[in-house]
Amino acid sequence: MRVLEASGIKKQFGGVVALSNGNLSAEAGCITGLLGANGSGKSTMAKIIAGVHNADAGEVRYEGRRVHYANPHEAKRAGVAVVYQNLSLVGCLPVWQNVMLGIERKKGLFLDNRYSRRKAHELLEHLLPDLDIDRAVETLSPAEMQIVELAKALAEEPKLLILDEPTAALELAEVRTLFDHMRRLAQHGVAMVFTSHRLWEVMEICDDVVVFRNGETVAQMDLRSGRHSPDTLIGYITGKEESNEERQTERLTRAPSHEIVLRTKHISHERVLRDVSFDLRRGEILGVGGLAGQGQRELMLALAGFYRHLKGEIELQGRKVGLTRPAEAIRENVLLVPGDREAEGLFLNHSLGINLIFPRYGLGTQPLFERPAQNREICRNAVSALSIKTSSLDVPVRTLSGGNQQKVVVGKWLSFDIDVLLLCDPAKGVDVGAKRDLYDHIVELALERHTSVILYASDNEELVDYCDRVMIMYEGRIVDTLEDRDVNADTIIERSVNTGDARARAESV
Amino acid sequence: MNPNRTRVAPRLRRVFAQPEHASLVVLVAMVVIAAILQRNFFAPTSLMLTIDALGPLILLTMGQAVVMVCGALDLSSGAALSLYTCVLTWIMESGHPLTGVLALGVTIGVAVLVGVVNGIGAGYMRISSVVVTFATSFVWLGIALFIRPTPGGQSVNWFNAFFAYDSVHGMPKPLLTFGTVIPPVLQLVLLACLIWFLISKTTVGRYIYAVGGGEDSAYRTGINTARTKTIAYVINALFILLAALFFVGQNQSGDARFGEPFTLQTIAAAVVGGISLTGGRGSVYSAIVGAVIIELVNKIIFFANIPYAYGTLIAGLIVIFAIGVSQLYTIYSQRSLAKRNAPQ
Repeated sequence: MRVLEASGIKKQFGGVVALSNGNLSAEAGCITGLLGANGSGKSTMAKIIAGVHNADAGEVRYEGRRVHYANPHEAKRAGVAVVYQNLSLVGCLPVWQNVMLGIERKKGLFLDNRYSRRKAHELLEHLLPDLDIDRAVETLSPAEMQIVELAKALAEEPKLLILDEPTAALELAEVRTLFDHMRRLAQHGVAMVFTSHRLWEVMEICDDVVVFRNGETVAQMDLRSGRHSPDTLIGYITGKEESNEERQTERLTRAPSHEIVLRTKHISHERVLRDVSFDLRRGEILGVGGLAGQGQRELMLALAGFYRHLKGEIELQGRKVGLTRPAEAIRENVLLVPGDREAEGLFLNHSLGINLIFPRYGLGTQPLFERPAQNREICRNAVSALSIKTSSLDVPVRTLSGGNQQKVVVGKWLSFDIDVLLLCDPAKGVDVGAKRDLYDHIVELALERHTSVILYASDNEELVDYCDRVMIMYEGRIVDTLEDRDVNADTIIERSVNTGDARARAESV
Repeated sequence: MNPNRTRVAPRLRRVFAQPEHASLVVLVAMVVIAAILQRNFFAPTSLMLTIDALGPLILLTMGQAVVMVCGALDLSSGAALSLYTCVLTWIMESGHPLTGVLALGVTIGVAVLVGVVNGIGAGYMRISSVVVTFATSFVWLGIALFIRPTPGGQSVNWFNAFFAYDSVHGMPKPLLTFGTVIPPVLQLVLLACLIWFLISKTTVGRYIYAVGGGEDSAYRTGINTARTKTIAYVINALFILLAALFFVGQNQSGDARFGEPFTLQTIAAAVVGGISLTGGRGSVYSAIVGAVIIELVNKIIFFANIPYAYGTLIAGLIVIFAIGVSQLYTIYSQRSLAKRNAPQ
């Protein structure tokens, strides 16, 4: 049975066309994948179905009837639930109140808290058995929050469930748990729409897939036949075609020099970094891999000067340096692209231009009065170098799509002489096309400007595609360094897991 | 694990992670200092005077706290207080007890209207609550000045009951005793507490915290955030009305400029009591503690014989100190909570 059928949806925000011709249908008991680059309109589509936005044109049919939801409340009552990408949880309320928020049952006038707690407990029992439902949501990890968000959607007993990038914050084992639950829901006849940037996830869980590009539905395919490869999907998403092998041969032909730019000797920090020593060569892209949360992020922060009481030594070009404040690291041209771009990398409400030029103010070499022409020149170079899609330098960064925002975080360092570039999961939440632009530019930096790059990516494929060497971290230590032909997905996973204990092994399968 | 089982250790930890418990420490310190400076602090008559001075600020602060928990502010609360005293004394005619009932009814209507207007601006029109209530404060002041250009007005005799039972003619004996044991102003505070207790057990109470804690999240969850904010402003307006009843009972007159100094005091008191300026956090009852601390600061300044010229400065420093203590306490306790919750 067709639960949802949306056709010819149009939506504009100000002058920007988010959707020009969106089509999407979902059937009871089926999981429909929704693929597309950032800014291709898939989030907008999800929000229109959920009643957050109103469509400018087109029609949405839900259970055969034409519907027009004025607000999320109406959609919810009809049985449409959404698991939002950037969550809809209230941080200061406990888990159980969040799960039942908006659908509380009442005893007469008053809240039936006993029922709410029981219901929340029942829902989370399978999803996250160890969770204390009295904990405030803000104290949970991102993955736990994502699960609570799912439980919240399930509490509404929806007929149509929209999952907007629910796996972005999850680790492999958690993704598997989520998929198990989705399959169970499908058996109960729930229609689901699932979006993700990870192709293998869509290939694995979805029955059919809809691809969006530039606000339009460009393809609609049945995946059950097994005739479609990930490469054809990428082709639809980007409009171009290219395979992995090309990039890998390209990587293997690169030869970084033997000059050592950065050397760390036995650096340690609290319990997150233990005795980390390594060399970074000029023009090299050095990957940091391993299971998530083994100190990779902390290593980046340590090198970027975030830890005042870091133990051990750091040498830059043979010179001992103390990187105890971010400003010092920047002055030494050790530059960080942080993992959470919205919180750490950007001034969301400020213009693109200000975001690109701002780091220069920290140098102390900026003239007293601004030189607008010179600044615009720097900004324009960054915009064209990274092919950031924008109508002008004056638009707030907030209005750019995720992929373009991420390019801005990289772009703000481009006018510096970068010696060491630290990248913390730069492609997180970035679509395939923008991801390629971004990495192409990073490779170019390494090749032509001889910038040394340390790359931490949660997606092993990025490490395999672009890194000369990959260090594997486990519990704050570097346990292995892979070179040349060893840099491949299988070896990375094998080394990440085998160095860990039995628990880690169980988690990653 | 049984979801309804009470687990003591984490519960206790959570209790101590609340900023209002820092303010309790400050409160005890204030009471001790006040009792040392004013020898007869605990004597019934002096305690009664203290309570009479405290009560209205507690009522106003509780109202402000409701709005702050909902993620907004009310800069018009002092002006609204003045307006209510003016409306009450404008309608009442001494010697006609029934005009008191009429005045009460009309002013309740005015209070609801005041709350709704603030709510429409800050909720439905999505204007910053600071801007909206700063603007409406002049409207309330303007109306108050229009109906009562100079302080004055009339009151009916039974209205004195909101201040002291013994100044009401023909008050029955048992009620008189009751009024001495629990002074009227305390009754008003208890009434406010009861109202909030009941509201906090309904969806309205839950949604006020949800909207303050994350307006976007609450909206996407299907909560009517504009209506929730409006209800918060109406509750605030009614709590302000309770304070107005006390003042009219005490002074038998209205004054358009009377409430102004209270506005910022209520915000300071709420913050001292542990209500977050960003919303969603803090207990409305802890506003009482904050209000008591602010009032005791004034008392201490008076009894310490500090010259008037320095009084305000020192009061300000004490308030900063109190806020600092509660903030440090919150940061510290939440950090230790986070550490304990971190997966190993």
